[in-house]
Amino acid sequence: MRDKLDIQATTRTPAVSFDFMQNHLKITGESYPEDVTEFYGPVFTALDSYLGKLGSGTCRFDFELIYLNSSSAKAIMMLMDKLDAAAKKGAAVDVYWYYDKEDDTMQELGEEFGEDLQNAKFHLEKMPG
Amino acid sequence: MLASQLMDLRGMLHSQGVIFAYSGYVTEPVLSGVGEALKQKLTIDDADTKTLRSVFAVFVEQMQNIIRYSAEKAQPALAPASDPRALMEIRYGILTIGREGADYMVCAGNLVERSDVERLRAKLSRIRDMSKDELKALYKEQLRAEPEKGSKGAGLGFMEIARRASKPIEFDFTDVDATHAFFALKATI
Repeated sequence: MRDKLDIQATTRTPAVSFDFMQNHLKITGESYPEDVTEFYGPVFTALDSYLGKLGSGTCRFDFELIYLNSSSAKAIMMLMDKLDAAAKKGAAVDVYWYYDKEDDTMQELGEEFGEDLQNAKFHLEKMPG
Repeated sequence: MLASQLMDLRGMLHSQGVIFAYSGYVTEPVLSGVGEALKQKLTIDDADTKTLRSVFAVFVEQMQNIIRYSAEKAQPALAPASDPRALMEIRYGILTIGREGADYMVCAGNLVERSDVERLRAKLSRIRDMSKDELKALYKEQLRAEPEKGSKGAGLGFMEIARRASKPIEFDFTDVDATHAFFALKATI
């Protein structure tokens, strides 16, 4: 397993910063890729490999998304499902959803994702600033 | 002659409040480029954050609908699969963004198969008539569901448009020929 997954943000894709050594994973920015599968495929692969070895360890995942299109919403749901599955297997998983206080759509979306987490702990927070 | 023809076209768009108009083959880079210009214009207009994000979100879904589903397409005739040109399929549509008083409107139109009209009409009517809470519930349900046959995304596009709109979505169809109809969808933000 790699120690890190770092993907730079582009206009249409978020920055991905997975620090597996620190158990701190983060996705930041906007997400409306040309091809959702092409962008999220490697992210899923890296996350699966990390979560597979997490056991009863701890993990924090920060979502700091400004905007995501409808195809990306499905990918985000799949990320959430993976995190929840790891929590079910005994990991202590904290999911933070940061939203821009000016945009209640992203707040609502966060709430919707949070409702579906059975095992991971969900935190809904305003973005600072 | 040339100047007056183009001025007339511009004038017609202007009189309908249109500030952006694109008619032609749409590709993902077109979406990126027009999207950036749209963000700049909304920033210059001093639109609030929620309006800016909502107009942009509706624009992205409308553009991707054309890119994925327009029934009017240009593709190389009979190119074998090994030929890189076999993948060069591009689809035609029209998209406008305009002002109506304090509101923004994002309209998109493209050809669809006439055999798809009733299915689309039923789906859009249902979404149009839903409250925000009903839309939220349907969105969640669809997020977990398998996409419909023929869907190239998550099957959430129309719902995303309706959720971001501040008024009920409007849509219409008109027959073009024996097999095609023109489909128009308007969202007001």
